[in-house]
Amino acid sequence: MAQLESADVVVVGTGVVGCLIAEQLLDAGHSVLMLEAGPRVERWQIVEGYRNRPPITTTNLDAAYPPTRWAPFLDSTSTTTAADYLQLEGPNARAYRQDYVRYAGGSTWHWAGICWRLTPEDMRLKSLYGVGRDWAFDYATLEPYYTRAEHALGVCGPSEPELQWPPIRSKPYPMGRLPFGPGEQKFTDAAARLGLKNLPSAQARNSGVAYDGRPPCCGNNSCIPVCPIGAKYDAASSLPRIEAKGGKILVNAVVYRVETGPADQVQAVHYFDPDRQSHRVTGKLFVIACNGIETPKLLLMSADARNPRGVANSSDQVGRNMMDQPKLVAAVTLAEPAWTGVGPVQGSSIMQTSQGDFRGEHAGALFRFNNMARSRLGAMQALKKGLVGKALDAEIRKLSACTAELTLEHELLPDPNNRLTLSDKKDALGIPKPNIYYDVGEYVRKSAEVYSTPLVKQLAHEMGATDVAVTTEFTNSDHIMGGLIMGANPADSVVDVDCRAHDHPNLFLPGGGAMTTAGCGNSTLTMAALALKAADAMVAQLTHA
Amino acid sequence: MWSLGVEYSDTIPGAAGARFSLRFTRRLVLASGAAALAGLAVAQPWPVQSAGTHDTRFMTLSRLLIPHSLDPEIGRRIAIDLKADMAPVSDHIDALLKLAQDRHAAVVEDFFPFASDEAKACALRIISAWYLGVVDDAPGAKVIAYELALMFKPTSDVMTIPTYSISRPNGWGAAAPPLIAMPNF
Repeated sequence: MAQLESADVVVVGTGVVGCLIAEQLLDAGHSVLMLEAGPRVERWQIVEGYRNRPPITTTNLDAAYPPTRWAPFLDSTSTTTAADYLQLEGPNARAYRQDYVRYAGGSTWHWAGICWRLTPEDMRLKSLYGVGRDWAFDYATLEPYYTRAEHALGVCGPSEPELQWPPIRSKPYPMGRLPFGPGEQKFTDAAARLGLKNLPSAQARNSGVAYDGRPPCCGNNSCIPVCPIGAKYDAASSLPRIEAKGGKILVNAVVYRVETGPADQVQAVHYFDPDRQSHRVTGKLFVIACNGIETPKLLLMSADARNPRGVANSSDQVGRNMMDQPKLVAAVTLAEPAWTGVGPVQGSSIMQTSQGDFRGEHAGALFRFNNMARSRLGAMQALKKGLVGKALDAEIRKLSACTAELTLEHELLPDPNNRLTLSDKKDALGIPKPNIYYDVGEYVRKSAEVYSTPLVKQLAHEMGATDVAVTTEFTNSDHIMGGLIMGANPADSVVDVDCRAHDHPNLFLPGGGAMTTAGCGNSTLTMAALALKAADAMVAQLTHA
Repeated sequence: MWSLGVEYSDTIPGAAGARFSLRFTRRLVLASGAAALAGLAVAQPWPVQSAGTHDTRFMTLSRLLIPHSLDPEIGRRIAIDLKADMAPVSDHIDALLKLAQDRHAAVVEDFFPFASDEAKACALRIISAWYLGVVDDAPGAKVIAYELALMFKPTSDVMTIPTYSISRPNGWGAAAPPLIAMPNF
């Protein structure tokens, strides 16, 4: 075993959370070492990889990110490959088929860039509605970190309070909103006729101007799987800046053990290189930020005599309360063109439907128009009809323009039975694969039955739909939350209000795993806010030391 | 040799199907020129069955099957992959060309409905390859064309080809053109 590296702060994971923390600590004058399980690639490689995938993979949005042998993740190429890494079970196993990327930069490469905040009510489910949990602090505590996160990521959004979500802000967005394309405008107009407001999304995409060294968005409509010009925040632009500030990034370093010592301190992390040679890295503070699945997995794998249930797991809550926003999709055929593929792939949502007293009985839901260009899907469908000549072109145009997808994403309650454990199946390095039991529960199922599905049908008909088919099987939204749940009580939670492990004073576990409740919106901005709050605590802790 | 020596290699680990190369050689340029000339023959008397190379006959048939501007280099690559993938493809091409000749066809609608089922299947495969940019649309298939694949053309006045741009910063809007306004391509 070789010991090669040491730093004040060792950060495992190079996604949005790891990068934000690394930069904060570097700015405060501390040395930082980042460890990334996967490889480092350049933007053009992802773009070319995407363009060189056949049309049938259009909806397989992670196809441009083939997993490496040593850092596997879910491969959606087929149902067979999809079943290889994540071991899923339970009534809604399919709904936890989470897409994430184990590359330098993590899933920031292929996130949509959407930056919703939680509302004050989202953080007080138990007090207000008698379900789920309350956060250990309120919205007012988180708000300054939301604002910092919006400026760190470069988030654009509307300046009008009536279009903001929630309209409780201490500062404006750093940039104004992006325009709607025709499809999102049609959806907005239909919603308005039903008394609903489709809001321009807050999104980490440069709107009309350059920001933070990134160019303005030009509507390339490939935010997922990659922004070809870097207008969207992705950690690919953070990593060189971290290195310029003196941070060190080791790639292809698969951390497999968190080593603890006396006084519950974490002393080191151990990683395998692709040849399974082991290396030990020491530091003063440790951050495990390799997403809501890989982080609990690593903690459970690190069980030792002092921590028989796993590191940071005296509460037995590590890997429990796994959350996401269970998704349904309405496939809509319209009499008149809606048009997709104009502007970013996502740009708006109806959010007010996530709130209400009904939350005591069933989940709320977010509704949005999927703006990914449907030209390839239209062409594939038209060709299957055996058409030729002008009839083929007309059918492609019609199917591309007059079909659409409306997405419904539901709020899931934290449930300790939704649990990640270690599978007895191993990956190529001999590391256990994650096993996850998942049941969306009656709270979500009832919402789909009495609330969200009826409402999306109304929306579709208001748009002029001639046919609406709503899926009944829940699928993943890729917003991995809950497995390191935050709370004030060490007996029923994993981390404290600064994402510090209750059990280990120098171990921080920030990100989606720490989120106490999920809300209906995309989780990244809350993850980023928690990262900045944790970074402040780490700087204070190092200064005090 | 007029090789520009332009060759790229995608080095993403394990990226099956992500490798590609682009190399212009004198042979390709000449072949492209021949194919372009063959295209001019559409309005001329029909080529004798089996006359011309596989490439030229393929391009002649392609121009009869698809009423749009076709890139000869893409055609050359489709022709190669189709031939390797479909044994009697030359026979079908000959049969379709003869049918078009017999019916004095100017456009696909003039002869396609009268083709045999096997020849129709071959014709649809050729059309599909031009539109989708792959001969066999399956995971791992080799992509021959992306931005020039015809699937993007019927909506090119509105829809972005993902990763490309037809707009400028905040330059897009909510205008929804009618279906009948088919772009020329």
